[in-house]
Amino acid sequence: MTVAAGIGYALLALGPSISLFVSVISKKPFLILTLLSSTLLWLISLIILSGIWRPFLPLSSTTWWPYGILIFTAVAFQEGLRILFWKIYKRLEDTLDAFADRVSKPRLFLTDKMQIALAGGLGHGVAHAVFFCLSLLTPAFGPATAFVDRCSQMPFFLVSAVIALAFVTIHTFSMLIAFNGYAEGNKVDQFFVPIVHLASGMVTLVNFASGGCIIGVPLLYFLTILTLLHCGKMVWRRLTENRSRPGS
Amino acid sequence: MESSILQSIGVEIVGVMSPVSICMLLVVLLVYSLSPSNPFSSAASAPPIRTAANLVYLESPSDSTTQKLEGALLNALVFVILVAVVTFLLVVLYYYNFTNFLKNYMRFSAFFVLATMGGSIFLSIIQHFSIPIDSITCFLLLFNFSVVGVLSVFAGGIPIILRQIYMVSLGIFVAAWFTKLPEWTTWTLLVALAVYDLVAVLAPGGPLKLLVELASTRDEELPALVYEARPAVSRGMENRGSALGLLVAGVSDSGSVELQAINMDRNRNENRSNSESNAAETERYMHEEGESSVDLGERSPLVGNAQRRLSSSSDSSDYSTVVVQSDRSRQIGSREFENAVDEEMSPLVEMMGLGDERELTSGGDGMERSGRGIKLGLGDFVFYSVLVGRAAMYDLMTVYACYLAIISGLGCTLILLSVCRRALPALPISITLGVIFYFLTRLLMEPFVVGTATNLLMF
Repeated sequence: MTVAAGIGYALLALGPSISLFVSVISKKPFLILTLLSSTLLWLISLIILSGIWRPFLPLSSTTWWPYGILIFTAVAFQEGLRILFWKIYKRLEDTLDAFADRVSKPRLFLTDKMQIALAGGLGHGVAHAVFFCLSLLTPAFGPATAFVDRCSQMPFFLVSAVIALAFVTIHTFSMLIAFNGYAEGNKVDQFFVPIVHLASGMVTLVNFASGGCIIGVPLLYFLTILTLLHCGKMVWRRLTENRSRPGS
Repeated sequence: MESSILQSIGVEIVGVMSPVSICMLLVVLLVYSLSPSNPFSSAASAPPIRTAANLVYLESPSDSTTQKLEGALLNALVFVILVAVVTFLLVVLYYYNFTNFLKNYMRFSAFFVLATMGGSIFLSIIQHFSIPIDSITCFLLLFNFSVVGVLSVFAGGIPIILRQIYMVSLGIFVAAWFTKLPEWTTWTLLVALAVYDLVAVLAPGGPLKLLVELASTRDEELPALVYEARPAVSRGMENRGSALGLLVAGVSDSGSVELQAINMDRNRNENRSNSESNAAETERYMHEEGESSVDLGERSPLVGNAQRRLSSSSDSSDYSTVVVQSDRSRQIGSREFENAVDEEMSPLVEMMGLGDERELTSGGDGMERSGRGIKLGLGDFVFYSVLVGRAAMYDLMTVYACYLAIISGLGCTLILLSVCRRALPALPISITLGVIFYFLTRLLMEPFVVGTATNLLMF
């Protein structure tokens, strides 16, 4: 296990995000700024959360229920943050539209709005992967690797990279779903996102059982694929609707 | 179909952020790859590096906390005083028109930095990765590298990209050098410099402010080491007329009045200045200018209503917003002194000199004919990277947190810049955020994240 392995783990967790960044985000400077600010927002939320939980740390690693509470509070907090993010975005959108009118450019297209949501979601996802997976990778660049009891089949870094990948995907696309849900007032989408987020957080609790990752990781990926499918369906529906009535 | 406005908003902010990010990334890689393997050699060869930054107190791990704190504070104080003195000297020199002297000094110091500090860094890289290379080749390459760097700093006719590359590498060398300072001294120094920066740029009679004002009244380019996000306009002056045409064609949406304002500006500039440009570059400039003017207009949404109001009320001043000029380079002059006094000191002084200032041209004066892009002093590059490099010695997590904090601070500064329209210090916001995030991450977040992630819990 050397530098190559470390880079491999990092790419496993972040590869899809990097390609998304290069192909979509990096072409439009405004999206880069959105990405950075959403990453910063997520970091701040993490710092606040850890500030709240700091007095109770370290939790004993044998009982699982304190971690359940921790995950529940964290998810609740972050979903609240998502609503805040939406409010900010709403204001930003109005500003941008007003500005576009002023320089007599077209207003934001539907795809533009979706791209902004995508950039916001990617920011959350990347922040997640960076802080939960990448920052622990340092030892992976060294000459050894590590295993944990919970998941003795794979190196610890590999498991965390795989889980991080699932979370990056969930975060990225659930932001799209949530923004569309808010925009359309669609209750199903609005509740879909927190539920998936909470469920995926709770699924990681399965890892507490010895060898639990055999069950936990596939469950997590089931949720990821569910999010992806839902998001794809929704985007497709909106795009076709949009095309059928042009000019809207 | 017309491209959406997303494409053009924030171009210049990203244009400044990306070189800063590259600089920080390379410094972190350098620190990361060289420090763990090198504890012995670096400790053996230069355990007490003695620079202007730790003249008074030499930190040793065995000292008590109060001792360290006092010593670090003293160090920072002495360093800031030194810098202030040197900056005032610079102002005096500039006031009495020693411009050529300053420029030549800058060239010398650029050569010095590239050759010696760059050389020592290359040497340690070569040693660390056991690259087989003979000394003569190495020397030749280094010499060529330095000479091209010196030429690119002030001479015209050098592609802007080369100049930008050399600016970033200068920043990297100096920052890598600074990361060798002891920990406490580094932190107090960073904070002290941020405060100094704030005072020097904003307070009436602050040396940097004096410099900027002096330069703008004289309508001269500051002989400074400054990163320009966009090429200097002066070179493109010859083609102003045609550039305008391009502008009109490209930006026809954004109101002809504004364009005219530019035009007048330019003509004025043209009259004043002898054009020194070569034709090839000019074309590019025209193009970029067109772009930048678009950006200007379009950046405003970020700033909100204030900016919009401004731009609508005064067309000509709108343009000037973009121009940020930094005079740190002047301060570089200060290094000279340092060199005379003590060679080792010079790197430090340089960085200082590089301190960050940005200057906005005001109104349609055309004060800033020298550039229409955002300019960021090399000092900002250096100290941002020093912070991140210092964070890299603790953990990767702090690096990410500090990076995000610094970049967002830079973004805030840039937005403030378009609101205030004057030279702003780039260090204070970023450094404050960076330091706060470093300690928050280290004290609060790390145990939390490590605790959950090692149990394979994520959310």
